[in-house]
Amino acid sequence: MGTVVTIDVYPEPGATAAQLAGARQQIQQACVILHRADEIFSTWQPGSPISRLRRGDITAADAPAEVADVIAACATARDLSGGWFDPWAMPGGFDPTGYVKGWATQRALAVLAGASGVSGAMVNAAGDIASVGQLPAGQRFRVGIADPAAPRQLAEVVELTGSIATSGSYERGPHLMDPRTRRPVARVASASVTGPDLGLADALATGLAVAGTAGLEFIAAIDGYAALTIGFDGTRGATGDFPFAC
Amino acid sequence: MKRSPIVIAGTLVGLIGVLKFHTTPVGLTVPAGSAPPAASAGRGSSAGSPAGSASTAPGSAQAGSASQQQGTERTAVGPVVDYNYGLVSVRVTISRNKIVKVGIASLNDGNNARSQFIDQQALPILEQQAMQAQSANIQGVSGASYTSAGFAQSLQAALRSLGFA
Repeated sequence: MGTVVTIDVYPEPGATAAQLAGARQQIQQACVILHRADEIFSTWQPGSPISRLRRGDITAADAPAEVADVIAACATARDLSGGWFDPWAMPGGFDPTGYVKGWATQRALAVLAGASGVSGAMVNAAGDIASVGQLPAGQRFRVGIADPAAPRQLAEVVELTGSIATSGSYERGPHLMDPRTRRPVARVASASVTGPDLGLADALATGLAVAGTAGLEFIAAIDGYAALTIGFDGTRGATGDFPFAC
Repeated sequence: MKRSPIVIAGTLVGLIGVLKFHTTPVGLTVPAGSAPPAASAGRGSSAGSPAGSASTAPGSAQAGSASQQQGTERTAVGPVVDYNYGLVSVRVTISRNKIVKVGIASLNDGNNARSQFIDQQALPILEQQAMQAQSANIQGVSGASYTSAGFAQSLQAALRSLGFA
């Protein structure tokens, strides 16, 4: 995944210099986590543990502990998505990229959560966003969803609690694989999933983009998660609890 | 490539951290919405092509050039980076400690449609991040995004030349 990650930390109005310094340190820790995730899971770096695993050079037991964690989480996400998200059905073998970006971003956010003197924090991995807390004045974070037909415009605005991930083929062409046919397909232009964990939201959004509106059912069945699809003709589909901003 | 520490600068609204990523470094700061974020850090990882890694063109390994003053805005153009599928250079404009504009300064991809697609499509999300201060009182934009290795590397160098990294 090509990614630019931004980290925003919102201090309370009266945050002390020591609290701000602490926030800086936590940002550094968050960056270290992102570095490490990329080192382990970069599928285009031939020497990364995930690449070696894909080639069969090593087993999961030989890899860093994070690999087993991600494999287990991918299996859960595959089940929850009704098989629409399936890293085992990717060309070239097991490819957890659709989960890892969100997973790493969520882990980076975790070190920022609960910081002293901070009202909220947001980690945005080029469009997949994990957040904790709120704005200093107490409002929820508001996040726009890019319009797949005109990516410089917003299609919707959501009030964010937790995370949001969006998948679609409009940014980089056909790359979403249908696990059932093993051919590239996207049945909606854009699929967004909100929920407490960005790793799972990321995986579900990937599966939903492949499944199309029929996939809204599997999202609705998962406690705490909601979804929005935008069709190629602009038609919206959403689970009943999708957090549209007023 | 070596890993580099993040650099953090204090500002009136808080903190901004720019992280250099060890493969294809990128720093991107997110501008403030109505309530300014205290801190921003960026990290880029490259992808762009299955073949992967980017390399900086000989003679252009130094940071970007052509800084210019325009009010409080400063603009820099990153080096032309060869990333297997073509040559790309990124222009970035900052105001105080926020990115206000990101664009492609040059793109020579030998008419490779895929790389052209990738680089042109990489822009909207980054632009939206940069412009969200002006839009609808939001703190972020969610969307499908993709950033090529060359794009990320050139952007990072441009930011570095502006003292961002």
